[in-house]
Amino acid sequence: MSSSQVKLMIDGNTLEAPRGMLLVDAALRAGIDVPVFCYHPKMEPVGMCRMCLVEIGRPSRDRQSGEFLLDENDQPIINFGPNLETACTTRIDEGWVVYINSERALEGQKQIVEFLLTSHPLDCPVCDKGGECPLQDLTMLHGPGISRFSFHDKMNSLKRVALGELIILDRERCIQCARCIRFQEEIVDDPVIEFSNRGRSLEIVTFSEPGFDSYFSGNTTDICPVGALTTSDFRFGSRPWELNAAASICPHCPVGCNIILNTRREVKMGGSEIVKRVLPRQNEMINEIWICDKGRFAYSYAMDSERLSQPMIRVGGELEETSWDNALKVAAEGLKQSGANLLGLAGGRASNEDLYNFKQLIQGLDGVSMLNDFMAGGKQNQQIGLGPGSNLGDLGVGDAIVVIASDLLEEAPIWWLRVKQAAERGAKLIVANARFTKLEKYSAHTVRYSFGDAPETVLGMLHYVTGDSSLNKYAKVDGQEESARIIKEATNAVLFMGSEGSDSESSKRLVQACGSLLAATEHIGKANNGLIPVWLKNNTQGAWDMGLTPPEKHLAEEFRDRTALYLMACDPFGDNPEMLQELPQDAFVIVQELFHTPSVDRADVVFPAQSFIERDGTLTSGERVVQLFYPAVSPHGESLPDWKILARIGALLGVAMESTSAAGVMNRIAEDIEDYGEIHYRELMNREDQWPPVGGKQIYFGGTAYENSQGIGIRLSSRAQRGEAYEPVWKESPKKPKGEGIRIVPIVKLYDQGTTVLPSLLLAQRIGQPELVIGQEDADRLLLQNGAQVEVQWNGTAHQFPVAIDNDIPEGIVLLPRNRQLGLEMPMACNLTPVKPTSKEKGE
Amino acid sequence: MLQDNHATEIAQILERYPQASKRAAVMPLLFLAQREVGFISRDAINEIAGLLDLDPTDVGSLIGYYTLFYDKPGGKYRIQICTDLPCALRGAEKFSHEVCEMLNIQVGETTEDGFFTLEEVMCLAACDRAPLFQVQGKGGIQYHENMTLESTTAFIESIREQDANE
Repeated sequence: MSSSQVKLMIDGNTLEAPRGMLLVDAALRAGIDVPVFCYHPKMEPVGMCRMCLVEIGRPSRDRQSGEFLLDENDQPIINFGPNLETACTTRIDEGWVVYINSERALEGQKQIVEFLLTSHPLDCPVCDKGGECPLQDLTMLHGPGISRFSFHDKMNSLKRVALGELIILDRERCIQCARCIRFQEEIVDDPVIEFSNRGRSLEIVTFSEPGFDSYFSGNTTDICPVGALTTSDFRFGSRPWELNAAASICPHCPVGCNIILNTRREVKMGGSEIVKRVLPRQNEMINEIWICDKGRFAYSYAMDSERLSQPMIRVGGELEETSWDNALKVAAEGLKQSGANLLGLAGGRASNEDLYNFKQLIQGLDGVSMLNDFMAGGKQNQQIGLGPGSNLGDLGVGDAIVVIASDLLEEAPIWWLRVKQAAERGAKLIVANARFTKLEKYSAHTVRYSFGDAPETVLGMLHYVTGDSSLNKYAKVDGQEESARIIKEATNAVLFMGSEGSDSESSKRLVQACGSLLAATEHIGKANNGLIPVWLKNNTQGAWDMGLTPPEKHLAEEFRDRTALYLMACDPFGDNPEMLQELPQDAFVIVQELFHTPSVDRADVVFPAQSFIERDGTLTSGERVVQLFYPAVSPHGESLPDWKILARIGALLGVAMESTSAAGVMNRIAEDIEDYGEIHYRELMNREDQWPPVGGKQIYFGGTAYENSQGIGIRLSSRAQRGEAYEPVWKESPKKPKGEGIRIVPIVKLYDQGTTVLPSLLLAQRIGQPELVIGQEDADRLLLQNGAQVEVQWNGTAHQFPVAIDNDIPEGIVLLPRNRQLGLEMPMACNLTPVKPTSKEKGE
Repeated sequence: MLQDNHATEIAQILERYPQASKRAAVMPLLFLAQREVGFISRDAINEIAGLLDLDPTDVGSLIGYYTLFYDKPGGKYRIQICTDLPCALRGAEKFSHEVCEMLNIQVGETTEDGFFTLEEVMCLAACDRAPLFQVQGKGGIQYHENMTLESTTAFIESIREQDANE
């Protein structure tokens, strides 16, 4: 037995556990339950609720030698203290004898439940938590049938306090365990809720504006051990035992959080099955037991009544609904007649199966297929991405994490959370960006470069690593040398690369520079080392893996002279209405979509596609984990999964494709694509025991996040890990054009106005109106004040926005959240004109 | 804005604490805010939060925890009579009723002229000198011990007079 392990006895069972482990954890690992409310395995213990009272006996020791004192039978003399102790704050030691279910301990636990119930309303029959409530369960187990306290002394408090528009608090039900407050403070560092007052009057309050507005707020309802915190979408929505649970993968960002879609038949929807709520599904390698509010609340787009439900064809200039057979026939005929110069454009939202069949179909028709994106890095991720055995949760002391050109909190909140936590565990975090982002708060080092200079900044770091003198011209920003040293000395290093401030050309140079830096510091080809691209779409990596890459030229040029265009899961004419002029008027257009987008308006044939809640498929995350999502509800209208639509057209045109099932398509992918050789649906369903236990019987311990019984996915190995050499290359930077005035840079906001976010009524208030962020110098020069309207022209189009002044933004740069209809994919030159004369101007 | 009238004092308070733990200045700044208008307004909470890089919730939640902080306006002076058990045995409850009658208000109310708010509070740690009250207002907090209705009336008159002269 190593000295770090101790032996102790709990309720007569002898067990071994690491010294210093909390008694409550040690007991649960040995299969013995200690009831808890305030304790949560992901947070520091506080011992506030006293539910976990147990009897602890410690062996007496000789004062001189430190040896155990023995009784006449040569057994250690065990001393039990006069009081019960809390198992959640006590760290175990050698020789302890603990009673959790002794008469005395149970009496203590009973009294605590009785005490908690003096002011807790027993409104379980109407409480949303009823049926999955730790207090309800423990009351059934330990609670007295009759209270000794006077009913008239019961605290009466407000039953509906909207802490924000998403989270509602029932003050009467709160048992003051502070799990929610501690989550906001310790885990996500957004302390917008706190206790106020004291004693029996203790209550949860917020003084923040606008209230409980945090990207992670929904998680507090999962870990609330009573029905005090509920989400506004599920409040009085259903009883938990009426719900079916389908495992799924969040479709909103490249993290690939594991989720559960809880569904139920709904009278209001004519008896059809609908999604009632989204809960996290545990995957300690990906999202632990958390999800962000976008993933939790933006699902409703999939059930929106505006969804396309019938195939349509253009007859006499108008789109008309028709049958599948007819629409497929018209599409096939159209492709036969006009398919001579066919372009296929797919979005990174589609599943691997869709993207694979898409590539097969377009290739089979001798067309050109592309991914509707501009960011580079998919190839490098295949070469030097994170490999099997990696887990951001393992990074800590001695490791380094670099985040460059990305605002992780907005682009991939759960990655932000895990990087922040790694930094708090001791990993050295380097944040390199052209502006302040919240992640800087946890960084060991911040590198601030000029907008557009990300590749040069990395090449400058490379100079300090390799000493390559040809690169010393790039070593000009503060912090490059120190960052290079940190990366070089780190045991493990992970580099997150985003696209903020990049265009397609500089994105390529950035990923090459990042790859070279990782290779030069030997942080490739092993677990917990390598590159993670922060994609703008959830399955962009899957698209790269299926052989779809962004256009080499500008997308507008790709549209020229095309005779036919096939669009899947993307809306280029909605993103940029100017594109319409580039496509020849007589080009034949097929669109597979969820909604009636502007691209649908240009289509000759429209196929209604199924959303992620109606079908199965796989997605490949930015970390290159392939994960399976399952169907949760029946299809909307006559919609079909994208891969199936493609296979049916293929059949009419003589292109052989898998048409039976998504699993079947994956078998073809496994045969065809080397990296996916081992991927089959059965293996993707593999599960693994994880800590802490959540859901099910252990709901009181970890909360209502679901246990992962449907598959934790498979992490693809990188080529470097398989022994393939990586050839670092980098390009010299082109000379920058000078004096081009103001540049407008698109940035990512979590709640954007995308097709999959806008239909969510719940998030309506959070989405807000886009503002143009401008630096103080430019604002002064243009006599602009906060909130003033400004007209911005780029690429021949004009738009109006209110301005928000930010001191951190340098002169000559303005920022605008990415959005549809803007045609602003990459940074470009723009002109600013104030719309109304400001008061300052009037005064002159 | 506190900064408009008390810039120097705020700077002095902030100077007392190292930059890394400047949140420690939250208590003296709350005292300052309360001294200004007799309670801590929502604007003051936001201003203090801004000064200390805290979330307004971190600042605002303290007001409820400490009984001497107020989040609502009251009289210029708050008279706080201890009516805990030992004081009650020495007649504090009766004393409180009499003072209420004299001021023509109920416990928790403010006199018509806006001068005095009367409150009953828990232990002030001077049981042997009950009936007693503490006064919170101009000049901070003062104890008035071994009080009678007469001495209290005199005290109240003196405050009114003093204020009229200012």
